[in-house]
Amino acid sequence: MSYIRPLTRALYVPAVLFLGACCCNKSVVKPTPKAAPAPAPAPVVAPMSDIFFDFDRSIITPSSQDQLRKNADWMAANSGKNVTLEGHCDERGTSEYNMALGERRAQAAKESMMSFGVDNARMSTISFGEEKPFDSGHDEAAWAKNRRVHFVEK
Amino acid sequence: MRLSKNPVMVSVMVLLALFFLPFTLRAEQAGEYIAISKEGSGRISIVLDRIASKGRLESTWAGSTDGTIKGALDFTGLFNLMPAPLNIRNAQDGTLNLGSISSVGADVFVAGTMSQKLGVPILDMQVWDATGKVLLARKYEGRVNNLRETGLKFAADLVELLTGRRSVFGTGIVFVSNRTGNKEIYRCDFDGQNIRQLTSSGSISLTPAVSQDGRYLAWTDYTSGRPDLYIKDLSRNVTVSVRKQGVSISPAWRPGTSQCATTLSYQGDQDIYLINADGTVDRRLTNGRGINVSPTFSPDGLKMAFVSTREGRPQIFIQDMASGVARRLTYSGNYNTQPSWSPAGDKILYTSMQKSGEINIFAINSDGSGMMQLTSGERNNEYPSWSPDGSMIVFSSSRQGPRKLFVMNADGTSQRPLLQMDGEQQQPSWSLKN
Repeated sequence: MSYIRPLTRALYVPAVLFLGACCCNKSVVKPTPKAAPAPAPAPVVAPMSDIFFDFDRSIITPSSQDQLRKNADWMAANSGKNVTLEGHCDERGTSEYNMALGERRAQAAKESMMSFGVDNARMSTISFGEEKPFDSGHDEAAWAKNRRVHFVEK
Repeated sequence: MRLSKNPVMVSVMVLLALFFLPFTLRAEQAGEYIAISKEGSGRISIVLDRIASKGRLESTWAGSTDGTIKGALDFTGLFNLMPAPLNIRNAQDGTLNLGSISSVGADVFVAGTMSQKLGVPILDMQVWDATGKVLLARKYEGRVNNLRETGLKFAADLVELLTGRRSVFGTGIVFVSNRTGNKEIYRCDFDGQNIRQLTSSGSISLTPAVSQDGRYLAWTDYTSGRPDLYIKDLSRNVTVSVRKQGVSISPAWRPGTSQCATTLSYQGDQDIYLINADGTVDRRLTNGRGINVSPTFSPDGLKMAFVSTREGRPQIFIQDMASGVARRLTYSGNYNTQPSWSPAGDKILYTSMQKSGEINIFAINSDGSGMMQLTSGERNNEYPSWSPDGSMIVFSSSRQGPRKLFVMNADGTSQRPLLQMDGEQQQPSWSLKN
């Protein structure tokens, strides 16, 4: 199933650019229709994407840095919107520690967004630790999806 | 002394002294039994006779009390329980033949009768040694709707008599379960009986802990949409919350005070703060880089063990409360969390995530020596918590699939499930006392 995410991303990015060009005076950019049940976070909530982390790490990887830049662009294009950055962890490790780790992931993402010019006041953070996994599986494929910061439009 | 001028007080004191004196003398004699048993199996062997009764109602009470006493004594893992030998009573006159209990290798003989006085259950219990000496003779008035309490009272007296230590009977455990679909706080007795739900947040409730005096329950709760610290005054049924920006994680009560320590992040890093029972912040305790989480206190309240990433990966540190100076406790393994300080003060339990990915429980002396692994080869074993008397440990384990509560003896032996309940159970804290 892992080919679906790059595929949907490949379709999604030009589609967003195309729609954005067509409807540039509308404040909300409608995402592509809900075609395949994409394992990637649903762009229905916010046209921003999750970023992912290594195990027991809250350091922003270069690919996450690219995604954060895109998320910051969306924030710039939607200046009336605020966002909550949810920090999540996989089920490994212990849950109290993961609460703290999730918080650090959200904080790291927020600082990176600020470096791209997003106003601190438009972003809040919350940690769910390992309490709300995106994928309930028990293997590395599931864990990798759960070690994330999820962007929720407010 | 001013007390001696009060004649009423003097007579009360004399009466109390008379009441306690015989019991104290017997408790001293009990030391012999510990010595005897240590030469053998390491356990004290008890012959439990069935409680005698006349009448249908009384025999029902007697049967259930037999079960309570046997179950409680069994639970401690301290005793060998054996049925009475056939020749324990003289066939003609029913007199006791106590010599027969040493022939089956037992140290003490326990028998009793159940009767009633105007509907009130009366449990009359006796304990003898093999020489025929009476070690304990006591009458217990019970309540029909709580016979278990009566059986446990006798079992507690027996454990104290034979071991010189208070029993775990009467203590309880608070824990988290997702039985309803949401994580809520529950409590149960020491042996997993009498499960009751304490919160109905419909949200995520985590990491409950009860203060040493039993007055306050602290936990983390997402009711407001964010993780806040909640403190409930159980005597007045009043709850306060500590609402700060950022997280609130795993509170622990400081012995001898009405303060708990918890992790908050409203000043940036995840640091441990001391919180008053009214929900106000007393002071920040850690100022380390990175994560500081999962505090646990030495029994005198003077030192705090906790998890910190100040040197990279999560390790256990110990901080002096007065000076604020911290030293690293664990050096083996690179993911050590969930410390729990023993009631005797000498040991600290913690969990370590091993190379295999499995999480296991370890014990280490508070000076860093004597590391010992208590669980192994059975998936994840987490969140160890000492019984108030230090003889046992409760923890959660995924050895049968979903997370469930288990107990073991303090040395890691005799690991067994604590309770049967739907859903998952986790984060047990053996902090309820009677």
